[in-house]
Order: sequence, then C-alpha cells, then structure tokens
Amino acid sequence: MTVAFAVPDVLVARAQAGDEAAFEALFRAFETPVYNLVRRILRRPEDAEDVVQETFLEVVRNIKQYRGEGHLWGWIRRIASTKALMRIRRDQVRATEPLDEEPGKLGGPTFVGANIDLERAFEQLSETSRAVVWLHDVEGYTHEEIAEQMGKSVSFSKSQLARAHARLRRMLDEGARA
Amino acid sequence: MMHCTMDDLNALRAGEGSVWARRHITTCAACRAELELLYQRVAQLKALPALRPSRDGWPAVRAVLRAERSRKRRAWGTWTGSLALAASVAVLLLVRPSSDSLHAELSRAKQQSATLEDSLQQYDVEDRVLSGHAAALVAELEDRISVLDGTLAQQHQRAREAELVRLWQERVGLMRELVNARATRARYVGL
Repeated sequence: MTVAFAVPDVLVARAQAGDEAAFEALFRAFETPVYNLVRRILRRPEDAEDVVQETFLEVVRNIKQYRGEGHLWGWIRRIASTKALMRIRRDQVRATEPLDEEPGKLGGPTFVGANIDLERAFEQLSETSRAVVWLHDVEGYTHEEIAEQMGKSVSFSKSQLARAHARLRRMLDEGARA
Repeated sequence: MMHCTMDDLNALRAGEGSVWARRHITTCAACRAELELLYQRVAQLKALPALRPSRDGWPAVRAVLRAERSRKRRAWGTWTGSLALAASVAVLLLVRPSSDSLHAELSRAKQQSATLEDSLQQYDVEDRVLSGHAAALVAELEDRISVLDGTLAQQHQRAREAELVRLWQERVGLMRELVNARATRARYVGL
C-alpha cells in the first residue's frame, strides 16, 4: 500500500497550537496507513492497535518539533515503525524465527500448505522477517535505515530479507503444488 | 551448475549484484526466472489491500491526551498559586510605609489576577474544541503568561515595588485576554 497524500499546512499549524480537533483530523488521516504498517509487522491485532495509540500520542507530544521538512507521513511512519520494532524487541522470544533453513539457498521445501497465497505466506514469517521485508520492499527503507532502527547490522537486515524471501518462495511453491 | 542465492537475487534487484551474479543471470534461464518471481512477489506485496483496525482508536488516544492536559493544567495552577504566595511574602518584606499607594496597586493587581484565574476555571477547555485561530491565540497567551510568571519568580525578591506592580498588571491584562478568548469561544459554541 502506497501512501501519497498531503495534509494541509494549516491543519499541522492548528495541531501545533494544541487544537484537539486538528489532532483528531490527523489521527483520522493517518490511522489506517499506520495500522496497516504496524499490523503487517506485528502478528497480533491488539499489539498493532496499541502501537497505533502509542504512535499518535508521540505525534501529538512532539508535533511542535515537526518543522515541515519532508512529508508528514514520513515522520509519522518513522515513529510507527520504531515503536513496532521496539515491541518486537520487547517480545524477542515471540519473534524468534525457527532456523530451519540454510540462508540464501533456494529450493528444499519444508512447508506443507494448501493453496497458500502471498498474504497468508507472509503472515507465516516471524515478526522480525516481516518487519525487514515490509520496510524494505514495500516502504522503501534501505538496509542501513532498517539496521539502524533495529539496532542490528546491515548484513543482518540483508540476510533476513534473503531468508524471508526464500521461505515465501517455498511456501508459495508448496501451496501451488498442493 | 552453481545458481544464484536469494542474497544474490536481492543484490541484483538493488543493482548491487556481484560480477559473477551479473554475468550468470545473463546465461541462466532458471535464475532469470527466479529473479522475475522475486520482482513479482514484491509487486504483489505492494499491492496488498490496506488492513484496517477493528475499532475506532481515537477515543482512547483522546482520553490519554485530555488526562495529560488536565495534569499540566493542575500543575500550572499550583505553580501560579505558589507564585502568588511568594510574591505576597516578598511584598510584605519589601513594602515600606511610604509606598502605600504602590502597595495598594500591587494588592489590587494580585486580587484581579486571582479573580481572573477563578473565572478561567469556568471556561476550562479540556472538553471543548477550539478553532485553529482560537487555539493559537489561547496557546500564545498561555505562553506569554508562563514567561511572565517566570520573570516574576525571578524578580520578586529583588525587584522594586513599582516593577512588581507593572509585572502584575501586565499579568492581569494577559489573563483578561485569555478569559475573553475562552468566554467568546464558549458563547460561540453555546457551552
């Protein structure tokens, strides 16, 4: 999903002046893209809803610091992704991906599924893998940006991306053959 | 025959493939097909429909924001109350019998300020929505009053009484504007 809409400067100015109606308008404008982003990363809908709330509270608390450099969505998205990744780190055990594959190698199917589509296959990935794939392939983050946000190395981000795509490839292949 | 790994394919997609991978992909149909599949997967991911929350999240966010603003407001009230007390003590220490008129003016300004503080409570906007212009005006007035309070807090022990009177009267003026801004809005929305 690509988000490409502008928010009137006057709305931001009203929010910076503390106008609650402006806060609500910003929330309504960005709630779905923020939710979609964090929900694609996090497994549980309730976690995603919590992160949406945390994100907007931070947006409101810091809106005076927003100087209009770059798109507002870019600023909000950064806050949201950081908070989603923080939640993954907090629940690291839940995010641990089974290391049942040889990184980078194609083939060697291990997943047995029926008519699995890409969305369902994506949901099978760990939260860490989902975060890397979504941020890199959909949101357009670089490996350097992902590594910085995750507190990991660039090579970690690259290997997670390769591993995740190898798994997706196998799951879809198995789904098509079933 | 050695084929590209997924790392190689991702690197090729990013225009960063190794010399070997770039050469190999031109001669290996299987790896070209894998690269095409990778492009298709990414395109499909980008085209997935947006997921939407199952419930409206705004009431929860608004409740937290209002609670935070109420806390700030109470803290501000406590601060200004303390300031008034400190100023009163300072005035008692500083005022001499010869400055009766200044003393009276100072007392009057503080009394007016306290009355306006009480009036302001009636128009507390925690539950009310302001227009952009009104919100900006209120925010500006509150900021100016905060700055003035900071000045008063620093001045009260050493300022001459005339200076204290001037500062307190300025505060009364700002408070009056603030009350008017709130009252006007309250009348406008019928609250």
